[in-house]
Amino acid sequence: MDLSRPRQTPDDAGPRERELLEENARLRRIATALMERVESAGVAGGAPYAAFEHAVLLAEQVRERTETLQRTLAELHAAKAEAEAANLSKTRFLAAVSHDLLQPLNAARLFTSALEEHSLPEPSTRLVGHIGRSLKDVEALLGTLVDISRLDAGVLEPDIAPFPIARLLDVLAEEYRQMAAARGLELHYVGSGAVVASDLALLARVVRNFLTNAIRYTARGKILLGCRRRPEGVEILVGDSGPGIPEEQREAIFQEFQRLGGNRDAEDRGLGLGLAIVDRIAGMLDHPLRLASVPGRGSLFSVRVPHGRLPVTSPPSQATAISPGLGSVLEGARIWVIDNDPGICSGMAALLEGWGCRALTATSLADLEGKAAGAGADVLLVDFHLGEEAPDGLAVAERLRERQPGLPVLVITANHDAAIKGLTRQLGYGCLLKPVKPLRLRMALVDLLGGDSA
Amino acid sequence: MLDLSPDTPVVPGPLEAEPPLRTAVSRRRDPEGAARELAGALRHAELGFVLFFCSAEYPLAALSSALDEAFEGVAVAGCTTAGEITPEGYARGCIVAIGLDRRHFAVSCALVEDLAGFDLIRAQRLVDGLLDDCRGRALAPVGEHSFALTLLDGLSSCEEQVLATLDAALGRIPSFGGSAGDDNRLAHTHVHADGRFHGQAAVVVMINTRLPFEVFTTHHLRPREEKLVVTRADRERRRVLELNALPAAEEYARLVGLPVEALAPEVFARHPLAVRLGEAHFVRSIQRVNDDGSLSFYCAVENGIVLTAMQPAPLLEDLEAVFAGLTARLGEPALVIGCDCFLRRLELESLGLVTPASRLLGRSRVIGFNTYGEQHHGMHINQTFTGVAIGSLPATPDA
Repeated sequence: MDLSRPRQTPDDAGPRERELLEENARLRRIATALMERVESAGVAGGAPYAAFEHAVLLAEQVRERTETLQRTLAELHAAKAEAEAANLSKTRFLAAVSHDLLQPLNAARLFTSALEEHSLPEPSTRLVGHIGRSLKDVEALLGTLVDISRLDAGVLEPDIAPFPIARLLDVLAEEYRQMAAARGLELHYVGSGAVVASDLALLARVVRNFLTNAIRYTARGKILLGCRRRPEGVEILVGDSGPGIPEEQREAIFQEFQRLGGNRDAEDRGLGLGLAIVDRIAGMLDHPLRLASVPGRGSLFSVRVPHGRLPVTSPPSQATAISPGLGSVLEGARIWVIDNDPGICSGMAALLEGWGCRALTATSLADLEGKAAGAGADVLLVDFHLGEEAPDGLAVAERLRERQPGLPVLVITANHDAAIKGLTRQLGYGCLLKPVKPLRLRMALVDLLGGDSA
Repeated sequence: MLDLSPDTPVVPGPLEAEPPLRTAVSRRRDPEGAARELAGALRHAELGFVLFFCSAEYPLAALSSALDEAFEGVAVAGCTTAGEITPEGYARGCIVAIGLDRRHFAVSCALVEDLAGFDLIRAQRLVDGLLDDCRGRALAPVGEHSFALTLLDGLSSCEEQVLATLDAALGRIPSFGGSAGDDNRLAHTHVHADGRFHGQAAVVVMINTRLPFEVFTTHHLRPREEKLVVTRADRERRRVLELNALPAAEEYARLVGLPVEALAPEVFARHPLAVRLGEAHFVRSIQRVNDDGSLSFYCAVENGIVLTAMQPAPLLEDLEAVFAGLTARLGEPALVIGCDCFLRRLELESLGLVTPASRLLGRSRVIGFNTYGEQHHGMHINQTFTGVAIGSLPATPDA
């Protein structure tokens, strides 16, 4: 600043001196004003300028706090994203591990099934039976763990489609009738012609859990499997003449690792996750669950499924009603198997040949084309995932159908995504999830080969 | 076929079909005609509130009753100006208004008549009343989705205390506003509420809406080297008697290189002074030169404050950047309510930039007025453009 401009001057001083005196006086005034200002700063009072300064200060504090808050929020978001990513990677890891475990397990199951078809000395038959049951347990446990992790991670997408309820219940009745009989129980099944809309695989898990529990906890008497039509949907019922569930425990049994009673024999190897899964699946499908029980008399579990309507173009499938005994169409059927795992290939070959099929196995399309040497097939059985570099099973099937139009295709996949299942259904292919259960494979083959006319 | 005969009753269309805000301007000088013209453009079944800015040249009592009659049953608030901002940009001698649709805005309005006695208890009571009133009809959570608009008598010399007190009561509700003007005559400025104009008063309007909004302020002034110390001030009358221990007008004239006689609002606009608080500079605008060689200010002054000489950067570039930022954050604004210091307009006029400025304001959908001071989060500020930008609701899939 320039304070040097001359103003009033004392008479008795030289011009330079007067100038300096004046400047000195002004600087003193300025210094006094500044000191006064500094000393009055921060004093609470009604001065208007102080109110303005205060408002500026407050606004600045608010701005700073807002920034801090936004930073904290951003950090929270980042932490949440990280946690979600970690959870997702855990789920992916679990899915990958289970996929890798399922492959050899699948092969072992196929070998065992094939071995059971052989006539073996009595002690060996018993051992093979034990191995088979143990493998089945491992498979069930693994499946349960994968399912619960997938349900928790929210990666399981339901694949809702209309289907006749008999297609599910007939198979289950057959399967569990034998299991019940092994425990001295009678399974009473009442069939139904109702059509429902649901995810068949997920609904099957629910009903299987009901049935497994009913058999597990019922010492003597009857198991009931049936349906009741209601305006809101079809109620699938599983009743038993077991000990019943006390009122106060009816909620607890739907939580993880909760099991009732001391009924833990050698065959009972569950984790207590069954009804927890049922609860999650029913919630996801929006199918209400119901439990009625009279202690000492028995329990009745049910799940209510919405009514469905079949598209007019697809006549209801009859194949599901076929019992394992009606497998004569398999005799001599030419079946191509493509799986990049040679273990699975030889397991499949053993199983299929045991059913009288003529199996041709290959680990890739090229391999198959070499081995088939221009011959045709009755069914193509192809794994969806044929290795990192290779085209997937659907692409392979498409190539082979170019050569042989209308070739029935059964796709096998360890990927439980509804998308793949939906895709195969659109293409008119059959689809089986790994691990492949011999009974299901057999029925699927019979279905594809038009077994009901045999 | 649709029946389009004139006697078909007018059925209000679906919500999406109606703009949430309507704007109108009347250049008619007779109050009745102007009020009728505004009502013709703004009135509809769901009109909930009218905000207006008018030239101080209108006969105010007559305008009040004309507005009252034209908008019967709808609350009206506003103030006099030092120039209006219409849909076509800057104007003078007219009245511009905004109609708020009650389906998009819950509005509550209060008048403060005793500015000197406006203490924290009264402020708290006033804000509580406004919030309760809004909450009754709230369209969105009141705490996060409301802002307050303040209109103050620009010659009351009470802005700082009233605003600081009000801001304390408002808490985290953002606020902004402007001081009423009177076309640079510095005689009488008025705010309007409760059906009439008031001097020495303030109007507080609480607006709650689901629409996104942002309260903002901007200026285009940059600090220079020179500093002036206030060595004598009359705080009651907002006068600086001495700068650097010399008569204030003389010292300021020396700073800007002009004779004292040449000091006029255009000069104050081009050569502002500011106080620095922390990193920010706040312009303290000079109102006029007094006969005793002192300078009157539009805001509070104090002995010992240090004023920094400021120089303007391109005004329109700054404003354009601000509007671009708002558009980026809110989407194309449906409306900007702008409180634009009249000194900015003087600067634009002296630079011959009124036409491009009007184009920018019109394009950016600004409705507002030229003020004798602006308000932002409890701060009384000068020579800024301060306001609120209101966005449009993002299109919802089920809408």
